[in-house]
Amino acid sequence: MHGVTRREWTKELLRKKREKERQEILDYRELSDEVLELKNKRVANKDSLLKTTQLLNINPEFNTIWNYRREIIKLLAPSLDQTFWDGELAFTMDKLKVRPKVYWIWNHRVWCLEHYPNSPLKIWLKELAIVGKLLEMDARNFHGWHYRRYIVSTVERLSGNCLNSQEFEYTTAKINQNISNFSAWFQRTNIIEHMLARDQIADKESFIDDEFQYIKNAMFTDAEDQSVWTYLIWFIKESALKEHMTSEKYSSMLKELTEIIELINDDDISFSGKDNIWCLKTLLVIEFIQKDILKEDIKSKSREYLDKLIIIDPLRKNRYLYQIRAL
Amino acid sequence: MSEQQLLRDKHIDYIASLDTKKDDLEYWLSEHLRLNGVYWGLTALYLLDSIETFNKEDVIQFVLSCWDHKTGGFAAFPRHDGHLLTTLSGLQILATYNALERLGSEKQEQLEKFILSNQKADGSFQGDSFGEVDTRFVYTALSCLSILHKLTKEVVEPAVSYILRCYNFDGGFGLNPEAESHAAQAFTCIAALAIVGKLDSLTPAQQENIAVWLSERQVPEGGLNGRPSKLPDVCYSWWVLSTLSILQKADWIDFPKLTEFILHCQDPKNGGISDRPDNEVDVFHTVFGLGGLSIMKYPGLRDIDPVYCMPYTVTKYFQRKYSD
Ligand SMILES: [Zn+2]
Repeated sequence: MHGVTRREWTKELLRKKREKERQEILDYRELSDEVLELKNKRVANKDSLLKTTQLLNINPEFNTIWNYRREIIKLLAPSLDQTFWDGELAFTMDKLKVRPKVYWIWNHRVWCLEHYPNSPLKIWLKELAIVGKLLEMDARNFHGWHYRRYIVSTVERLSGNCLNSQEFEYTTAKINQNISNFSAWFQRTNIIEHMLARDQIADKESFIDDEFQYIKNAMFTDAEDQSVWTYLIWFIKESALKEHMTSEKYSSMLKELTEIIELINDDDISFSGKDNIWCLKTLLVIEFIQKDILKEDIKSKSREYLDKLIIIDPLRKNRYLYQIRAL
Repeated sequence: MSEQQLLRDKHIDYIASLDTKKDDLEYWLSEHLRLNGVYWGLTALYLLDSIETFNKEDVIQFVLSCWDHKTGGFAAFPRHDGHLLTTLSGLQILATYNALERLGSEKQEQLEKFILSNQKADGSFQGDSFGEVDTRFVYTALSCLSILHKLTKEVVEPAVSYILRCYNFDGGFGLNPEAESHAAQAFTCIAALAIVGKLDSLTPAQQENIAVWLSERQVPEGGLNGRPSKLPDVCYSWWVLSTLSILQKADWIDFPKLTEFILHCQDPKNGGISDRPDNEVDVFHTVFGLGGLSIMKYPGLRDIDPVYCMPYTVTKYFQRKYSD
C-alpha cells in the first residue's frame, strides 16, 4: 500500500465500518465465486463478459479476471464490432484513472490495441495523444513513459515513418515545462542515441553546440536539480556524441564547463555559504575524463572536492572515502 | 542512535492478525496477493525470530492449494491463474519450511516447464502467457530455477545478456531496455546476476557506477527513494540496500539515518511498518523494512540473504552454478 494515511480506528468506527462492509463482502464473494466458476467451465458469452466487468469494477487489480476477460473476448471476437473495442479501451481507461499504477490494466490495454480489428494506425495515433495527456497529468509516470515508447515504436512500424525528431521535440517541450523531469531527460538520451545510430543528424557539430547550449541554460536555471547534472554527465561521458567531436573541441568544452561550474558553485557559496554538491560531483567526473580518457596533464583538485563532499553530503561519506582511496 | 525502538512484539502480533481480518473488505479484495503476502509475512516472522507464529502445516497446505494445474505454476489463491511472481512466492515458502519435497517430482517438473515456457527469444521473461515482459520476471524465473536446481546454460546465458541490455548510463536498470532506471529493477538485475554467478559480466567501473546511483537514493529524511526526485519509501530500504550489499557497498548508505526513517514508519499502536511515516501499514513494507534493518545489523533481527530475501540456512542449498 502506498500513500494511504493511517487512520485511528476506534471500536465504534470499526464497528460501523464492518457493519457497512458486511453486505459488500457477501456480494463481492458471491460475484467472485460465480465468475471463477464460469471461468473454470470456460463459459464465454455476453453474460460472462458482463460479470467480469462487474467484478473488475469492484476490484480492478484482480489479474486472473483480466485474463479470463481476454479469453472470453478472443472466443467472441468474430461477433464483436468496432464499437465493442472502443468500449473496451474506454473501460480500461476508466480503470487506469482510478489505479494508474496497476500493471495488469496497462497490459490489458496494450492487448486491446493489438487485437483491435485490423489494429489500424489511426487508433495508435489516438493512443499517442492519450498518453500525451496522461503525461500532462503525471509527468513522471513510469508506466506512462514506458507505454509511450511502446506506442511510438508501433506507430513507426505501421506508418513506416521515424518519429525520432518529433519525439526529440517532445522531450524538449516536457523539459521546458519542468526542468526537473528526469524521465524526459532520460528519454532524450535514448532518442539522441537512436538518431546517431540511424545517421539522422546531418550537422553533428551544430547539433552538439545546440545541445551544449541547452544544457548550460538549464544549469543556470536550476543548479540544485540533479536531472540536469545527470544529463550533463551522460553528454560528456557516455553519449556517442563525443565520438563526433575532435579531441581539441572535447577538451575545450570540458574546460569551459569547469569554468561555468566553478562560477555556479561560487554563486552558491556566496548565497548559502556552502558548495553545491552536484557542482563538485560533476567536476570530479570532468577531471576523471581529462586525466583518464584525454590523458591531460591537469592539476587535480579531486581530493579537495571529495574532502568537501564528505562535509556537505555526509550521507554518502563512505562512498567519498572509498573514492579518495581510489584516487 | 535514535530514541525510537523496534516494536518487535507488536510486529509479530500484527503479522499474526493478518489472517483474522475477514470482516474487512480489503482482506477479500487482496486475494490476488495472498500467496505473496504469506511469503512476506513468513519472512518477516523469520527476521523477528518468530517463525512458529504461523502454523507450518496450514501454510504448506495453503501453498499446495494455490498450485494451478492449468499453467503448472503457483497462483496467488486457489482458482486464480499461475504467474511467475506467485510461483516464486510459493517456492520460497516451501523452501523456508524445508518442504520442497512435498511438491513431488511431477509438480516440480511442471513448475520447471511453466517457468521455461515464459522465456522469450531475447532471453527476457514474461510473467505469464499474456506477455508482459519486465526484468522483475528474469529475477523471479532464475530464483525459482535456482531453488528447484534447474538452472542451465541455455536459460542463463540469454537471460544474462538481456539483463545487460537493461543497464543504463546513469548506473541504474530499467524494466526493459531503454526504460528509465528504477531501484527495484537494480535489485532484480543485480540479484539475478548474483544467483547465476555472473556479476563479473559487469565491469568494475559499471559496478561502481551502479553503487553510486544506489547511494544517491538516500534523501535528507534518511529514507531511500526509487528514482531521482521522488519521495522516500520504506520498501526501497530493501531494494537499494540488498543490492548494495551484494555489491559489497552497503556502507555507502548512512545506516543511523535510514534506521531512524524505518523506525519512524512503525505503527506504534498495532505494529507493522508503512511506506512513509504516519501512513497505513502493510505486510509488504513490514518485511522490507525489517529486511533493511537486518542488513544494517539492527540488534535482535536475524540475518537474511540479500540475493534471495530468505534465510541463509535455506539458500545455502540452492543451485548457484550451472553446468556448461
Ligand atoms: Zn513502497
